[in-house]
Amino acid sequence: MKRKDFLSSIIPIGAVFSDMAFGKHIIEEPDIPSKIPPYLNKGDVIGICCVAGYITLEDTQSSINKIKEWGFEVKIGDTIGKRDFTFGGTDDERLKDFQQMLDDKNIKAIMCARGGYGLVRIIDKINFTKFILHPKWIIGFSDVTVLHCHINHNYSIATLHSKMCNSFPTDWNIAEPIQIDSIESIRKGLIGEKMNYNIAPNTNNITGKSEGILIGGNLRTIESLAGSVSDINTDGKILFVEDTDEYLYNIDRMFWSLKRSNKLSKLKGLIIGGFKIKQDDPGEEFGKTLEQIVLEKVTDYNYPVCFDFPVGHQKDNFALKCGIIHRLNVSPTQCSLTEIRL
Amino acid sequence: MIIPPYLKKGDTIGITCPAGYMEKEKAQTCITTLQQWGYEVMIGKTLGNNSKNYFSGTDEERLNELQAMLDDDRIKAILCGRGGYGVGRIIDKIDFKQFKRKPKWVIGFSDITVLHCHLNSKLKIASLHAPMAAAFNNDGFKNEYVLSLQKALTGKKISYQTTIHPFNKQGIAKGELVGGNLALLANVIGTPSDINTKNKILFIEDTGEYIYNVDRMFYQLKRSGKLENLSGLIIGGFTDTKDTTRPFGKTVYEVINDIVNEYNFPVSFNFPVSHEKENYTLKVGVNYQLEVGRKKVMLKEL
Repeated sequence: MKRKDFLSSIIPIGAVFSDMAFGKHIIEEPDIPSKIPPYLNKGDVIGICCVAGYITLEDTQSSINKIKEWGFEVKIGDTIGKRDFTFGGTDDERLKDFQQMLDDKNIKAIMCARGGYGLVRIIDKINFTKFILHPKWIIGFSDVTVLHCHINHNYSIATLHSKMCNSFPTDWNIAEPIQIDSIESIRKGLIGEKMNYNIAPNTNNITGKSEGILIGGNLRTIESLAGSVSDINTDGKILFVEDTDEYLYNIDRMFWSLKRSNKLSKLKGLIIGGFKIKQDDPGEEFGKTLEQIVLEKVTDYNYPVCFDFPVGHQKDNFALKCGIIHRLNVSPTQCSLTEIRL
Repeated sequence: MIIPPYLKKGDTIGITCPAGYMEKEKAQTCITTLQQWGYEVMIGKTLGNNSKNYFSGTDEERLNELQAMLDDDRIKAILCGRGGYGVGRIIDKIDFKQFKRKPKWVIGFSDITVLHCHLNSKLKIASLHAPMAAAFNNDGFKNEYVLSLQKALTGKKISYQTTIHPFNKQGIAKGELVGGNLALLANVIGTPSDINTKNKILFIEDTGEYIYNVDRMFYQLKRSGKLENLSGLIIGGFTDTKDTTRPFGKTVYEVINDIVNEYNFPVSFNFPVSHEKENYTLKVGVNYQLEVGRKKVMLKEL
């Protein structure tokens, strides 16, 4: 089965009909918002596990304390503290741990302990049958983009793109407010607060207002899913991308990949998060800024573009609900991203 | 598949740089050698362009020159001076109408993989995955890898023999040869330049990649269906690979072998196609037989 749209609990009938009234071609993946996993209540259990890179139990302690402080219980997966070279356990161990948490009805959300690399090695072996029947929040970013894309495309279930266990500071007293706020946004997302972010404008922004399903994540990971069963359809959606430790030429090459595979042409909006750029070698200067790289790809299109959005491998990395309709409003004076409740 | 006419003495080869910058001096041995092989050489302005950045000229300059060489009937082959990065920026603006009427050999590797893939999938015109200008330097013009380009241009059918590798999977495969640089093969998936690998012999090389990223890209090939229906697989050099602070725990060939050993087609590891000196000319789009034996590996043009 290619896609299980019928699983969506709320179908915006009005939206579909208005498209038909205007005689527009209805695309294969219509603008149907995802099924939203139940938001969390006090006492609910959040599971933490390693799906990609390894982490020590000690390095998850701060996140465990904070999650408990929020009023939730924590279930520590077997993979926390496990190590198979760069991975948090072997493929089988990571798969088993995640699968158990996915199938355990007592666990209401799964926070991936950290990113790194490893999800594509196990994604095709994960059984989502129980998860589809009893969705829960999947939390993480970077390599966890594989899960966001896969779940969005195949099951239309909302997920939470946010910081993970390894980003919780050990000493909250010296943590920057922006980092604390980013972590606090996970809690807000999980208890069902309506997400609303306002950020300062970048002079390169393209102004405009639009609404669409929010989708996205790590650019390199999105590229590596192209052609696979986890590949995303971006038509009619607001796409956000971020990346770290990449050369400008490679960022350019990845944006060309998005453009040439028609992932930019039918967007409703584009959000550019943080990009940690690797310094060009002397004499090999790329000669274009990130903003130039992005803007030259979207000149033919007509949707708002927002730079410097606080999402990425950085202290300010706010929780974003993938699969849920948001309104992007980019004006000369500010930029806002607001979750829309139907 | 259309095979462009092979070259005769006196034919003209154009040199252009559709991607990264290259100093003119670094192409001098190549130019002299091509002349010694009996060809005229037409040098594009992008070679040694006064560009101040990474590229060998603006997109327009690189596009216009490649376009002019594709359209110029006097030019029988186009040798890309070097790779780097940049073909993907101009590929969709190239007009292949005239080239389709009068095909010619396009020569290069690395970033030129985008052209090979595009010519293979969209135009069904064969091209040459081969050493570029810098490979001629430091006595490179005398080595068998550069000389394999000379043979290929004249239309000689070539067989390559190479040594075995412990990871090889024995067998005989026949099929059209496609492939190139792994990062670019992955990059064009889902785009109009994406290749169909069904019943084909796929060759892959890369340089300077992190081992985990090679793993990720091979998973992408697998998950996008590029591996399952192959006739055969040629793993070239994976040079200058890098590892993360927390080691990946496998060599690059172990990574590849772990992913490809579930399939039944023959696989040849450490084949001389790479960013190093060992880089035989391969005719993309042409039928080959790959014979992976107990004592040797043969790749034979059919």
